[in-house]
Amino acid sequence: MRMSAGAGDRVDWFGASPGSRAVKERTPSDVRDDALLVESARAGDRAAFGLLYERYARLVHGILMARVPLGEVDDLAQDVFVMALRRLSSLRDGARFGGWLAAIARNRANDHHRHSVSEVEWSDELPASERESGAMSNPKGATSAGEAATILAAIRSLPDAYKETLILRLVEGMTGPEIAERTGLTPGSVRVNLHRGMQQLRDKLERTLAGSEGQRERSSS
Amino acid sequence: MNAGNKASEGGTRNDYLWNGSGEPDPEIQRLEMLLRRYQRSGSTPVFPQVAQNRRWAFWPRMGMFPRLAAVAAAVVVVATVAVIVRGRKTIPAVLTGWNVTRVAGAPRVGARAMGANEGIGQLVEGQTLETDEGSQAHLTALETGEIEVDAGTRLRMERTETGFRRLVLDRGTIHAWIWAAPGKFVVDTPSALAVDLGCAYTLRVDDSGAGLLRTSRGWVGFQSNGHESFIPAGAACATRLRIGPGTPYFENAPEALRAALARFDFADSTAEQRADDLSIVLAESRKTDALTLWHLLARADESERARVFDRLAALVPPPTGVTREGILHLDRAMLDRWWNKLGFDDIAVWRHWEREWAGK
Repeated sequence: MRMSAGAGDRVDWFGASPGSRAVKERTPSDVRDDALLVESARAGDRAAFGLLYERYARLVHGILMARVPLGEVDDLAQDVFVMALRRLSSLRDGARFGGWLAAIARNRANDHHRHSVSEVEWSDELPASERESGAMSNPKGATSAGEAATILAAIRSLPDAYKETLILRLVEGMTGPEIAERTGLTPGSVRVNLHRGMQQLRDKLERTLAGSEGQRERSSS
Repeated sequence: MNAGNKASEGGTRNDYLWNGSGEPDPEIQRLEMLLRRYQRSGSTPVFPQVAQNRRWAFWPRMGMFPRLAAVAAAVVVVATVAVIVRGRKTIPAVLTGWNVTRVAGAPRVGARAMGANEGIGQLVEGQTLETDEGSQAHLTALETGEIEVDAGTRLRMERTETGFRRLVLDRGTIHAWIWAAPGKFVVDTPSALAVDLGCAYTLRVDDSGAGLLRTSRGWVGFQSNGHESFIPAGAACATRLRIGPGTPYFENAPEALRAALARFDFADSTAEQRADDLSIVLAESRKTDALTLWHLLARADESERARVFDRLAALVPPPTGVTREGILHLDRAMLDRWWNKLGFDDIAVWRHWEREWAGK
């Protein structure tokens, strides 16, 4: 990669290279709304922050659910919003609120792990009632609660980008465009994460199912 | 759930996964139905109550004294924040390093390659993050911001002699979105130092050490070899090894201006060619290109400077107290006052950073 001194080269070098792109921009109308709400919240309007909470609560909940034990999600989500409220003055571009909040949520989840005395394994954190009625222990594969627990555990074992996007889509009920808009990711990235994530989830669940059937066959023989 | 029957899934099924439209996909519908139990529930708290929900049980009883409740709420919010922040002793990420997440391929932090199932790594002082042509990474630091690292990038974290931590971009491209206070996020490159004074920019360095910085929001300072460049949103600035930052320009400036400016800054021109290029820049300048002309005052030699002054003064008259003589002698206070009249940002932010960075 070499640059010449020509101004045309400057433009081509940066603008036409397939690997390069500008910092992501969001243009939907509610970006303007975010900016206005952030501005109002900064000025002390807590109702405005309440609207931001309403708009982004599912996002924060989903991001945390992808990373921390289920029993911790609600408390940590509350922490994330309190941290955001405290730091709102440091957010210079209110239109970036979603991505900024998502970063706080991810970091809060990481911080939680760093400060946990002992990290709980995903499979052990599910409520006992759900584990006991889960697909593994049920010859038919399932009460819906147990099956849901198994599926959620499988999602949470996927790579970060996939598990976060799948949880936002399948658990929190957000659409792909909404996920892109709220997180600041490009729609293309979200679409890829959804489809690759789904493929990995199918593979994982098939392996799980095959493993449990094999176990049942061995125990019955 | 059968993976085999998904091979033939059509566009409408994909649409259902993407945005719930098109032909409903029974597999996705079933997952949605099963997983709905984990969805966030509960009503939206009325702020500031969100801060004490479940933590201060007495709060709901205060509804009969609304004014007192309002005052108490404010106190409780402050107290909650203090308890959470101090009680949990959250360490600002910038103090320990950057959290690194793999986006694609296998980015390396130090000697360790991050695989597909890798969690979050850390880039700390003395370490290097490298992405090959198939790798990308994402960096976050709670107190500072986020950085996307493109393929083919080498990024280090080091400490300066004055005790500041900074990133060093040896080659490649980063997209930075920074929310730390102005002047706190600094990226060094082989040919200039980039100082965040705003919030979003892209910085690219090639194998020769040359670079280009494009600002999309806020503004960024670029410094080396005694040259300073301030790059507001919509503008860009190139830099070259052993020369330092060139003159910033708006990316929508006339092509002739940008081409002449590039030659003026970096080409090995004769005095006559240089004068011709300057003439083109001056003639093509629009009012908004005062950005470029202001920077040229310090880059032009004495014989050229008067021409730049005249053109800039015609576009944006100097404020009271800023004289032609003072500008021709590069009086810094006068230059700063004129800059502030251009309407970009207050240069005092940069001067403060300079003092802090130099340890004065």
